[in-house]
Amino acid sequence: MMTTRRMQHMINAIVATVLGLIVIFPIYWAFIASFFSSAEFSSWPPRLFPSSFSFTHYVRALTQSPLLKFMFNSLLVSGLGTIVRMIIAISAAFSVAFFSFRGKRILFFLLLGTMMLPPDALFIENYLTVSRLGLVDSYLGIMSVYLLGPVQVFMLRQSFKSIPKTYHEIATMDGCGDFRFLFSVVLPLSRSVVLTLSLHSFFTIWNTYLWPLLVTNDPNMRTAQVGITMLGYADSLDYGPVFAAISLMVLPSVPIFVLMRNRIAEGIKAGMAVG
Amino acid sequence: MNHQKKQLLHRLKPYLFMAPALLLAYVFSYRPFLRTIANSFSVVNYSGQIIDFVGLENFRNLFADQNFLTSLFNTFRFAGYFVPLNLLFCLICALLVYKKRRFAAFNETLFMLPMAVAMSSAALVFRALFNPSIGVVNYLLHLNIQWFNDPRWAMGMLVVLGIWMAIGLDFLLLVGALRSIPQSIMEAAEIEGAGPLTLLLRVQLPLISPTLLFIVTTRLRDSMLLSGPVMVMTEGGPLRSTQTLVYHMYLEGFAGGNYSKGSAISVVVFLLTFFLILLAFRAERKGVFYQ
Repeated sequence: MMTTRRMQHMINAIVATVLGLIVIFPIYWAFIASFFSSAEFSSWPPRLFPSSFSFTHYVRALTQSPLLKFMFNSLLVSGLGTIVRMIIAISAAFSVAFFSFRGKRILFFLLLGTMMLPPDALFIENYLTVSRLGLVDSYLGIMSVYLLGPVQVFMLRQSFKSIPKTYHEIATMDGCGDFRFLFSVVLPLSRSVVLTLSLHSFFTIWNTYLWPLLVTNDPNMRTAQVGITMLGYADSLDYGPVFAAISLMVLPSVPIFVLMRNRIAEGIKAGMAVG
Repeated sequence: MNHQKKQLLHRLKPYLFMAPALLLAYVFSYRPFLRTIANSFSVVNYSGQIIDFVGLENFRNLFADQNFLTSLFNTFRFAGYFVPLNLLFCLICALLVYKKRRFAAFNETLFMLPMAVAMSSAALVFRALFNPSIGVVNYLLHLNIQWFNDPRWAMGMLVVLGIWMAIGLDFLLLVGALRSIPQSIMEAAEIEGAGPLTLLLRVQLPLISPTLLFIVTTRLRDSMLLSGPVMVMTEGGPLRSTQTLVYHMYLEGFAGGNYSKGSAISVVVFLLTFFLILLAFRAERKGVFYQ
């Protein structure tokens, strides 16, 4: 005889599974749609599984469109952008956490204050700046507005502050330079935070749409997010390569998100918390 | 002499470490922010230079412009549907999953997977799913809605997409919050005879109120800034029924080159987001419980 509690658990599991399957349906459908023939796309009733698994659309997406270039651009901008962003944030957080100097509080608040100014509402002026600097259609131009991560500065400073200041004083007295102290003491002790923030940063930059769209005119400079919306099958019902492209981008990130879900949630929560 | 130099370098060092971050804050946040405010009170030429100061004229024109009022109204309309429905759905999912049981981890994974899909991919997939003549949504739900041509329904599509993109994170945050409620409190309430509903309304919801407030505020702010899904899915249509503030700003300020008007819209967006943050701070001080 089942207890009511176990019964309750079973009902919860069933309802949650049904809801869950509805939630992941779009991902499932994007994946199977990448195998549809053009006739299957326009068939009624719509198909819920493909009749065959041919990789024509994948081959076409990879060979007849600049998809690989888009993905390369995105990887480069997100990867390099994250590295530069972390270096700048680590440097600022290091200064705030280990030195005392005049105006520290004000300067620190000025950095955090940028969280109140979302780039999505500043793009007109930022575009003018970037175009005056001649950075339209350049990787630096795409990265430019993401290079300062106030969230990163704040979280790193919190983490650095847990390291006693006396360590720094002793290290300085022993003739250990600031950079050596940073690399051999501070960063190893903050490895986990640095990793979380880097991951968060990578996905934030990877996912951006509006800004990369504005600062690129050259199709070869588009990021994956912008590029796939312009794969150019809009008029025909030839969606195949679009869904092949989407599947190629989503499938690698699924295991990353499943394995690192808590770390990512933490990072994003931190990212939103202060904004 | 050498000693003096060293002394100076030593005093400058902390500033040098902060310099790159401060420079970026100036170039890409404060300067554009101040210039946007200045532009909104001025006539600006095509290369972005201020020609004439016109006071509140831009704002007066803006609020007399039916087109802008539509964008403002649409943005609120989106927020009005999206924020409560999203919270409700994520809360239901979280309540179904937070107790340790068999398959809980599996269920959790399903709900968080949308996080792995970027906005523009998601918008493209939903555009195909909502296709009125060959799409899966109309077929499976036995509907005959012209999603892209019916001004009453196009926003519904954006709301569904918005919730779908928000589930992953909001669900994880709520599950985390529900699990952090001490078991002893729940057991004590159960011994006192509290049923599941009383438990939810009197114990769980008050105890997770910081997370609830956090989700509501950040999602309200996201709503005020909504533009990407609009650009990929509907381009503001049909009949401007999905034209939002930031998308309107893009049309005026970027595509149309009308910097004064674009900047004035931008200032309205800023005021809205500031106001929301202030409201959240007040709510936090008043009615939110911390453990």
